[in-house]
Amino acid sequence: MITRRGMLKGSMGVAVGTVYSGTLVSFLTGCGSDNNDNGNGEVVVMPGGLMVVNPILCVGCRRCEAACGWNHEGDCGPTIARVKVAHNMNYGPHGVQSNYYEQRGESGDFTLVPQTCHQCNVCMEVCPQKAISINEKTGAREVDESLCVGCGYCADKCPQQTIKVVRSKMKSVKCDLCQGEPNCAQVCTTGAIKFYTWEEAEEALEIYNNYTGLVG
Amino acid sequence: MAMNYGGWAGKVLWVNLTTSEIWTEPTEKYLDYLGGSGIGYKILWDHHVDGQLGTDPENVIVYSIGPLTGSGVICSGRMTVTSRSPATPGHLITDGHVGGHIGPEFKYAGYDALAVIGKANSPVWIRIEDDKVSIESATAIWGKGTFDSNAELTKLMGQDAQVFSIGQAGENLVPMSGFMTPGGHAAGGHGAVMGSKNLKGVGVHGTGTCTIKASRDEMRALDDHILGIIGSNNNNVVPSTPQSWAEYYSSGSRWKARDEIKWGAADEPVELGEVAWNERNRIGYRCSMAEMYVGVEYTNKWLKRMGGCHACPIRCYCEMKVPELKSRFKFKSEYITNTCGGFIWGNYLMPTTAGTEQYALTATAGAYLRDDYGIFSGYGLTHHIFKDMKTADLFKHLLSAEEFADVPWEQWDNNEPEFLVDLYKRVAFPDSYPHENALGRMMGDPVSYIDIWKLDGTNPAIDNWNIYAESNVHLFNRSMRHALHHASECASQVGTLINVIFNRDPMCHSHINVVNGGLPYDILAEVCAEKFGEGAFDPVKWYTPINQGKVNFAKWCVVKNVLHDSLTICNWVFPLIISPDKEKNYRGDSSIEAQMYSLVTGDKVTEEELDIMAERTVQLHRAFTALEMNSNDLRRDHDVLSDWVYDIDPDKNFGDQGTIKMDRDDIQKALGMFYEAWGWDSETGIPTRATLEKFGLGYAADKLAAKGLLPG
Ligand code: SF4
Repeated sequence: MITRRGMLKGSMGVAVGTVYSGTLVSFLTGCGSDNNDNGNGEVVVMPGGLMVVNPILCVGCRRCEAACGWNHEGDCGPTIARVKVAHNMNYGPHGVQSNYYEQRGESGDFTLVPQTCHQCNVCMEVCPQKAISINEKTGAREVDESLCVGCGYCADKCPQQTIKVVRSKMKSVKCDLCQGEPNCAQVCTTGAIKFYTWEEAEEALEIYNNYTGLVG
Repeated sequence: MAMNYGGWAGKVLWVNLTTSEIWTEPTEKYLDYLGGSGIGYKILWDHHVDGQLGTDPENVIVYSIGPLTGSGVICSGRMTVTSRSPATPGHLITDGHVGGHIGPEFKYAGYDALAVIGKANSPVWIRIEDDKVSIESATAIWGKGTFDSNAELTKLMGQDAQVFSIGQAGENLVPMSGFMTPGGHAAGGHGAVMGSKNLKGVGVHGTGTCTIKASRDEMRALDDHILGIIGSNNNNVVPSTPQSWAEYYSSGSRWKARDEIKWGAADEPVELGEVAWNERNRIGYRCSMAEMYVGVEYTNKWLKRMGGCHACPIRCYCEMKVPELKSRFKFKSEYITNTCGGFIWGNYLMPTTAGTEQYALTATAGAYLRDDYGIFSGYGLTHHIFKDMKTADLFKHLLSAEEFADVPWEQWDNNEPEFLVDLYKRVAFPDSYPHENALGRMMGDPVSYIDIWKLDGTNPAIDNWNIYAESNVHLFNRSMRHALHHASECASQVGTLINVIFNRDPMCHSHINVVNGGLPYDILAEVCAEKFGEGAFDPVKWYTPINQGKVNFAKWCVVKNVLHDSLTICNWVFPLIISPDKEKNYRGDSSIEAQMYSLVTGDKVTEEELDIMAERTVQLHRAFTALEMNSNDLRRDHDVLSDWVYDIDPDKNFGDQGTIKMDRDDIQKALGMFYEAWGWDSETGIPTRATLEKFGLGYAADKLAAKGLLPG
């Protein structure tokens, strides 16, 4: 039987440009595998990879957010940061539930589930301006601000809710992997946020996705 | 002058709950006071009314942050709350401090402070979403604890919001109360101020940023510099056990990570092992100090991870999963997070023994209850009072027979943490008992009960028991009736002087972050001598007479403390004048705050220049204390210590090894030297006109002069 990991491991070393559909796609986009069977979800294997947080290790310091803001915009704040810690921090990915004290987050079971861009193609595909494209060197899906008109289609559709339109410049901003030197991972206090190549990503995403649903 | 600095948001938000008016004013007029407590004291000064109570509607409460808050520089996640406090005699002004994430959110919403005046007709909360500010009904959550209240406020605002609320203690105007944010962060002493305004809480969501003048590379270079210097909580710079990377260790150090400790309740238990000082991406494991509150066994069972405030790599919060909270105590949640005093106080009150199950349960169940009710303890003062009085069996003489019979004393005698379930309810709901509930009221208002019960040695019914003579009670400043907080018990006259001048326990760790650093005494003494003068640091419990070095040290500590509460930076870690780096000869860098400030704001300052700005607020605080107390002699009216400070260990003399005893004449001399160092009248301890004018506080001199309070 071919396991999901086996499939990915077995395919390591495939040429850039190979197309996957199925399980890794569902991890990356957060959509169930049923959705992928119709062939809509495809990930083109590119150089580079994606940032994933291990919710068991994240301590909620938000240094990743700060370093991200410093690097990309020169300022600090959760809206401009491409990694989103605050959104799920206090009450978990689903916001305040009647049993909030059993859910994720600082007011629940203390598991923090920061959101990172999984470098899926959704934003790229929905952008009417074709402002988002793949950086050939890093594999990151990047916004070309000269083309972006701030319409917010990408933000609406982003499965991880990490791409946002920043009001001050009316441009969408998203993780570009800091041109291969992710600042968030450099400053992380526990090593919770890391860069994973596509090949390594499945296990990290599997752990992450254990924490994205409602508890119970 | 247009604001052209990074750091500050630029606006102070005002809400009048009586008139429902909401307006802003430019932060610019407060820039000389930096932010945080500086803004708080200035606003309160401008609105001073003689004889006002903290619970009077016109008393202003200020929640304020500083230029560094939310900038992401290390340990910059704090907020200061300043107001008259019902927990002090005469409701004098105090400032409390809260971490977590609420301070930065104010910055992102565009505000350097929120000042609230007036009283709403019915329970309300203040909703702040960037420029949109409204006063909303809190009727539906009035009566709820802080856990549920914070959840309700967040539900209304959306999960990106940061919120805080008072619990039932604040609602019921219990002086010893505060507010809480999600994640266990609290500020104490002003819960009843909020309650008196019918203000249940505040919610903030900001989509803006903290602007920064420096480049990414400059910010990262400073970040890296600090990571090479910073220790653990309280800047302990050595591990608590011998480790392969460390030349020294100290068992008291809050650098607890080692092979024996794990985050045992994590879904995949995290083995910590040694965490060396230069492992930048493992610094968050370093502290892991839950054993201080629940012992090693329960750390390994209950500790899920460490947590803490925005932009802090040290992580002093112990986030624990304690199944017994649900199974045994029937609490809603089995999760509790807090740090230090948040866990400790229950064990000050109960007859527990460290390392036992009762001890661990008392720490965690007590924390849960106090946090949910929003009860403040004044650095454990109320808990020490209770235990000392219980041990001396005094309550039967002070409570009515009906009330005495109503208290489950056997639970205390049997060391059952359930006693706290009963007791804290009495504190939070003072009026809900068929009897007077004097016990609950005393725990909620010790300042008044010292008089009501005549605890000053004048009540024959309790054999003239004297709270000021009881070293176990820890009441340090007799006039202010506050607890010691790193005073003579660990830092000679340095700690004593720091514990004298504030109106509450000083919340100052500037000295602790040096003297408790864990390095051998000789190194610490050398660092202190270099910085403050010969003899600045005595070995703990082996004190020499006052000298100029100690006075300089104490003054420096207070200035740095107020600087941190103004910028805002965590004073539980900063300043960093020692480091774990042998290559640096264990020296730190006291100019880091000035470097941070210069980079973020673009206003390039030296350490000395920044300290002068912080000292301005200390000077204003002191003038304010004289004004509020209507005192022309603060040495006589304010700076008075309890007798036990001098009389402890009767068979030892001041200066003997092994005692923390102070000497009356020596302290009077120390006060005089301290006053002179600040430029205060050496007899009365009140700032002179020359000093006030030097700091641009001529208006304060005029006010004191008009009241006949200015020296000379
Ligand atoms: S820096 Fe690391 S530990 Fe801190 S919030 Fe980000 S992912 Fe979590």
